[in-house]
Amino acid sequence: MMSLLDQIDPLRQAALADLSGAADLAALERAKGNWIGPHGQFTALLKQLGALSKEERPVAGKQLNQAKTELETALAERRRALELAAAAPKEPTDFTLPGRRRPLGKLHPLTQVTEDIVRSFRRIGFAVADGPEIEDDYHCFDALNTPADHPARDTHDTFYLEAAGAAPGSTPGRPLLLRTHTTSVQVRVLESQRPPVRVVVPGRVYRRDNADATHNPTFQQIDGVYVDRDVTVGDLKGTVEFVFKDLLGSDVKIRFRPHYFSYTEPSFEIDFSSALTRKMGKDWLEIAGCGMIHPQVFENVGYDPEAWTGWAFGFGIERIAMIRYGVNDIRLFYEGDLRFLRQF
Amino acid sequence: MKVTLNWLKEYVAFDGSPEQLADRLTMLGLEVEGARKLGGEFDGIVVAQVLTCDPHPNADKLSLCRVNDGRGERQIVCGAKNFKVGDKVPLILPGATLPAKPGEAPLTIKVGRIRGVESHGMLCSPRELGLAAEGDGLLILPADAQVGQPFAEHLGRAGSDTVYDLEITPNRPDLNSVIGIAREIAAVTGEALRVPEASLPPSAFRVDDLVAVRLEDPERCPRYTARVVRGVKVGPSPDWLRVALEKVGLRSINNVVDVTNYVMLETGQPLHAFDYHRVAKGTGGKPTLVVRRARAGEKFVTLDGLERGLAEEMLLIADEQKGIALAGVMGGQNTEINERTTDVLLESAYFQPTNIRRTAKTLGLRTDASYRFERGADVGICDWASRRCVELILQVAGGQAADGIVDTYPRPVEPREITLRHAKVNQMLGLALRPEEIEYHLGQLGLKVSGRVARPVEAAPEAPPSVTVRVPSFRVDLKREIDLIEEVARLHGVERIPATPPRGAVGANAYDAVHDQLTEARRLLAGLGLGEAQGQTLVSKADCKAAGAGLVALANPLSADMDVLRPSLLPGLLAALRHNARHQITEVALFEIGRVFSQAPEAGPARRADKAGGPPREARRLAIALTGRRQPLFWNGTEREAKFDWYDLRGLLEEFLDQFGLRGVTFVRAAEASAIYAESAAVQLGGKLWLGELGQLSPLVARDYDLRQPVMLAELDFDQLLARRNPAKAFKPLPVFPGVRRDLAMMVPEATTHEAVLQAVRQAKAPHLEAVELFDVFRGQNLPAGRKSVAYAFTYRHGERTLTDAEVNAAHEKIVAELKQRLQAVVRE
Repeated sequence: MMSLLDQIDPLRQAALADLSGAADLAALERAKGNWIGPHGQFTALLKQLGALSKEERPVAGKQLNQAKTELETALAERRRALELAAAAPKEPTDFTLPGRRRPLGKLHPLTQVTEDIVRSFRRIGFAVADGPEIEDDYHCFDALNTPADHPARDTHDTFYLEAAGAAPGSTPGRPLLLRTHTTSVQVRVLESQRPPVRVVVPGRVYRRDNADATHNPTFQQIDGVYVDRDVTVGDLKGTVEFVFKDLLGSDVKIRFRPHYFSYTEPSFEIDFSSALTRKMGKDWLEIAGCGMIHPQVFENVGYDPEAWTGWAFGFGIERIAMIRYGVNDIRLFYEGDLRFLRQF
Repeated sequence: MKVTLNWLKEYVAFDGSPEQLADRLTMLGLEVEGARKLGGEFDGIVVAQVLTCDPHPNADKLSLCRVNDGRGERQIVCGAKNFKVGDKVPLILPGATLPAKPGEAPLTIKVGRIRGVESHGMLCSPRELGLAAEGDGLLILPADAQVGQPFAEHLGRAGSDTVYDLEITPNRPDLNSVIGIAREIAAVTGEALRVPEASLPPSAFRVDDLVAVRLEDPERCPRYTARVVRGVKVGPSPDWLRVALEKVGLRSINNVVDVTNYVMLETGQPLHAFDYHRVAKGTGGKPTLVVRRARAGEKFVTLDGLERGLAEEMLLIADEQKGIALAGVMGGQNTEINERTTDVLLESAYFQPTNIRRTAKTLGLRTDASYRFERGADVGICDWASRRCVELILQVAGGQAADGIVDTYPRPVEPREITLRHAKVNQMLGLALRPEEIEYHLGQLGLKVSGRVARPVEAAPEAPPSVTVRVPSFRVDLKREIDLIEEVARLHGVERIPATPPRGAVGANAYDAVHDQLTEARRLLAGLGLGEAQGQTLVSKADCKAAGAGLVALANPLSADMDVLRPSLLPGLLAALRHNARHQITEVALFEIGRVFSQAPEAGPARRADKAGGPPREARRLAIALTGRRQPLFWNGTEREAKFDWYDLRGLLEEFLDQFGLRGVTFVRAAEASAIYAESAAVQLGGKLWLGELGQLSPLVARDYDLRQPVMLAELDFDQLLARRNPAKAFKPLPVFPGVRRDLAMMVPEATTHEAVLQAVRQAKAPHLEAVELFDVFRGQNLPAGRKSVAYAFTYRHGERTLTDAEVNAAHEKIVAELKQRLQAVVRE
């Protein structure tokens, strides 16, 4: 019989060959069992160590331990290599292939612009207000100091409903119409709240225009109203400048031009100028109307015009969106065309 | 309103450029919508005088001159030799362009360096100016030529001009005249306004002997005046008159008619000239002009040759026999001025605006005259404008004016007086103007300032210093204090009002929170992959068939395409699908949150028979439409071509409603699907409250919209979602002990619903049951007909300890027993 010492190296060699040569993880496990498992051949050799003489034992022990460490290292290395190989995809991955897209829906550009405007106003303490789209002629016109025979009230320009009568909160017997501006909500807010008032009113409005690149019978406006003691034209200018710079960039210039609206006095139109307008070949582009709320309007809603002053301004949301994004046809906003909607 | 720079300059001096004037006008509230330059000949060429002439330092053949161009001195490099110091020569300024020679591009002069020396312009030869074919020397002008004068003027040729197109706001009818606009310029520049005096030479005959006026309706015509000119020669207008009208877009007709138009543009007062001899003579052997209302059924042929049927409220100018003019709108053919006219009867009147507007609108006849009268003419200038008109008729058509005027003005309008408190001006504008500044601005506008009340010593301390102004008759818009404040703001200049940063109260409104919830819903839906659409509010009745009765109809729709207010958002989304399909976009997932309109009374058992009786209502809805592939195009996988189906729509809504804070939502087969659906489910809250409906689009409707793929639709009552949502969130401690899962596959009759299974599970009241999830539904060969296999995963968990196998088994057994008993379930092993 070969001495124990003589058996160590041949067994070590055979075990190393078996472990390193395992073709897959299952073969590796088998090889492990064969050699260094509880019933393995190398383990059996270790068990014989106790039978050796006192002189032989330290030498054999040292050799056996070295060999065991060597085999365990070989096992771990082979396992790592086989695990990596097993995880590798069967076919090569083409990293340039398109992935499975998870499309996000997009908010409508008019929603986005409205949100931006509302955000600006809220930063300076405005609340959002709302009112009916079906209005009576009092809230849309009379209360706003629009004379009875003003062309704006004409059936040529304003949509009237077949039904006269009473919409909720409107005066019975008055003709019903689709509001032509969100300014009608200004009246409703002033009627129902005591000053000071600070609201902004986004919403749909209607004019009897045939649809073309710059007109749609339905469009959207936003009005801002501020009533308090000692509100001045200076306040109006300051707020308008703040909002438009917030909205259009701090490099815009804002200009106020005297104008006429029945419900404000003095009245102004607001022009802005920026790199954008210059690109469009214009120094100034009209963007909004505004003014100090007419004392007659205050009287109509029961405010004392001596005690309170205030300003209002309004502008078209489509117009802002068209300028901001370079949209050239207002009808695109209302067609639901995905090629359009996905651009914003 | 169109007006030219040169015409304005007849009444007020203005030194600046046409662009500067446009800015000035715009900032006064007269928005310049367009400015067109009328190229005069020799623009930018002026008469200049040579002051010095020295040799060019770097070139033998050139000389270096200093010239006076009328404004200052310039240095010019010149190649000509035929002139001497003191000569007057044409100078073209930098930026101007020499007349183009045939076959050559026009040459624009720039400031340039010639042999190292700057030349600010060029002295011109006759050839360069296109005045002669030959000649290289400078054109030497006569010694009396005026230095600085435009060269065209020097030659007596037409100079350049600028035509402004101004937007006149409806409150300022006084600005529909050249003088009115000149008055604004004068007010802001401080230059004097030069209004023509319009004086007439005395005459041997009096107008009273030639014509009478009978005013039958002083309410509709508060003032009517007449003048007569005899012995005119009707013919073509002189050039100045013809050109003045043509520049602003009017056609020249003849000298007399042109003068009436010219004076209308000049003063804003519409005038009308009748052929005196075609007006019938009345009592006393002279024509009587009758201002009366038309008779019912009366017909009248206007100047444009059309016969008009008149209504009783229309105002007519007539003689004793017939109508001769439609008051304030258009004259009649029967008394038109023509080349045989010798004597002219001139009307200058003031008509009530409302009546003129109605007449013009009813007849569909808008004229320059009706435009001015309906906005409010100046009752105070009838006489002066008439005099001015006669003055010009005499000038261009000869003749002799009758002395005096027939002026029927029974109740002269008293000038309005308005009191203005200086402090209010500053309070409103955010300025600190002194009283004198305020009064100066008002005075500049022709407002007479009087009755200045300084604070009297004995007056109460709050009595404010104020001033009273008299408003001239042309300013019909100035009615109360605030109107005067606006005038001060305009003349002081809005640009000079300092902007103050936002300040003051914090806003509040009940809707504020609703707005945020709308935004939140939109963001959730976008996050779920839906694009936001915004449809038309106005839709066609035909598209709303499915919505049933209670449509809110327009009384004056533009077309049948848009004659009702949308009763539902679905027609709009279907229109969007159709639009996309037409552009080959077949994968569409859209939502809209918007308002719908109805007139039906509230739904419920009390639904009344009369369908259009209720008041119109507005409600918010949320609608969703899905069609086409569920996923974007991908290049492998078995599900890649899968189309949106019911379960996509339902799953989307479940996730949305859950995230939006609506719990306890159920979906039940709708007893009676709306006509738009092939089949549909009702969405309910708490088993009762109707939240909306969803399902697959009916193939019949799909055909109307030309939609070829299945379309899934949903529409929910958004107001209810807002009212019922509970977005409150509370933390639940995370489970510490492991859950135990038990799967159960069973065979049930085809008609057994998932909801029935859940109900049976709930009935079993199994302890520790945490969740039930369906993970398979299977129908197939191995199953008997009319049966399906369903598989559920049950999770059991205890909050304070690990459940034992025995506990889980006991609980699970209860459920299995319940299912077997209630649903005839056969458990599959």
